[in-house]
Amino acid sequence: MKWAPWSNLHMDVPKDLTKPTITVSDEPDTLYKRLSILVKAHDKAVLDSYEYFAVLAAKELGISINVHEPPRKIERLTLLKSVHIFKKHRVQYEMRTLYRCLELKHLTGCTANVYLEYIQRNLPEGVAMEVTKTQIQQLPEHIKEPMWETLTEEKEERTS
Amino acid sequence: MAVAALQLRLILCPGARGLRSFSSAVRPAAGPRSWQQCGEPTAAGEGCKTSLEAVAIPSEVMVTLQKALPPRTEKMDVDQDWPSVYPVAAPFKPSAVPLPVRMGYPVKKGVPLAKEGNLELLKIPNFLHLTPVAIRRHCAALKDFCTEWPAALDSDEKCEKHFPIEIDTADYVSSGPSVRNPKSRVVTLRVKLSSLNLDNHAKKKLIKLVGERYCKNTEVLTITTDRCPLKRQNYDYALYLLTVLYHESWKTEEWEKNKTEEDMEEYVWENSSSENNALRTLLQMRAAESGVAPSRDELLGTREVEDYRKSVVQLKNEGENEANLTQYKESVKRLLNLA
Repeated sequence: MKWAPWSNLHMDVPKDLTKPTITVSDEPDTLYKRLSILVKAHDKAVLDSYEYFAVLAAKELGISINVHEPPRKIERLTLLKSVHIFKKHRVQYEMRTLYRCLELKHLTGCTANVYLEYIQRNLPEGVAMEVTKTQIQQLPEHIKEPMWETLTEEKEERTS
Repeated sequence: MAVAALQLRLILCPGARGLRSFSSAVRPAAGPRSWQQCGEPTAAGEGCKTSLEAVAIPSEVMVTLQKALPPRTEKMDVDQDWPSVYPVAAPFKPSAVPLPVRMGYPVKKGVPLAKEGNLELLKIPNFLHLTPVAIRRHCAALKDFCTEWPAALDSDEKCEKHFPIEIDTADYVSSGPSVRNPKSRVVTLRVKLSSLNLDNHAKKKLIKLVGERYCKNTEVLTITTDRCPLKRQNYDYALYLLTVLYHESWKTEEWEKNKTEEDMEEYVWENSSSENNALRTLLQMRAAESGVAPSRDELLGTREVEDYRKSVVQLKNEGENEANLTQYKESVKRLLNLA
């Protein structure tokens, strides 16, 4: 009896996909002074296309962006060509890693999350990414004043 | 039962030998006819009477081979909506991409291979789903979820003034056996000491407590934490360290009274050997001249001693250069009445 595959995966597509609703919360947005994205790949053409996509996306979302290309790194190794003896005959392999660095300035937390998710979902196969975020924050409340005066006051209140 | 099955096989695949079936076996698709000829397979135990003659295949039942349809590219017009052809990342389909792309290393006096059946075009990641039109549409939909940077913080100095603490974190995206990267738990906290509420003693004590993590040129304290397994734990630990350092530096312990001259960060002239020597020399000079010995406080108040003090402090703190040395020379000459 031949097995015929039957599943509803491609038949039951939900037709009424509503747009995700935007929720606004009261907590203050985080601020990122700088977002540095380093993209690593083995192919220059793939990196060029990805850079064009990332730059256009940033411009459309209103983020200032700078691109520069760190120098490539080549890792080479030399192995023996044959399984047994023949030391004079070797074979050499190399792995080329090419880099592209996108620097974004002055982003809010919401914009950064949206942009990074968009970029990362469209990351091609065989490409890796490192994101370095520099977040700026206010001084926390407990560092504004030294606590020793308030501590002595509390002690006096407790003893009296 | 097995005998009946074997005889059924012989009818359905007349060329079959033995129990193996091959993919190149030609099956006569005359299902109903052969059943009728053979009769229903009867209950186990009774074989059905079969004949091993060749079965005639009627043409309506036989599967007709069709000519290949023309590719979809011929029906595409120039101003079609391309994002609907490639809405998501998909492999390269030569029948769906209307471009005459060629890829591959050519033979001698040849050209790169055409797109039909080209493995190189399949291997390389394509960006056909990310044309500028598609990117603009995506960004227009995503714009609602973005917030604007506050316009008042346009320069670095203003950011520094209102938000003095900077926190560096890193995230890593790559394909591999695991999604996690152990380097992503490192958190670096940077703060300028001028933005913290510290007095002189507290600042010096903090710098001594912190040691290597303070940079004198930029006045920035850098705390790097990676001892906890999670990023937010490291962030909490870094803030905790900053709080503890701040509050401890405001405390004055008893053993701090034993601070000697070697522990001082900068040269202080009061109660130093230079002051003692200068004053002793001046006292002896004045006593030898006029016989009246003025007091130390009077001598300290005179202008020559002030100048000498300033030049010595400058030499010790800032190092030796031309201007400092000439100033020191002038002040010594004036002190000893040589000029």
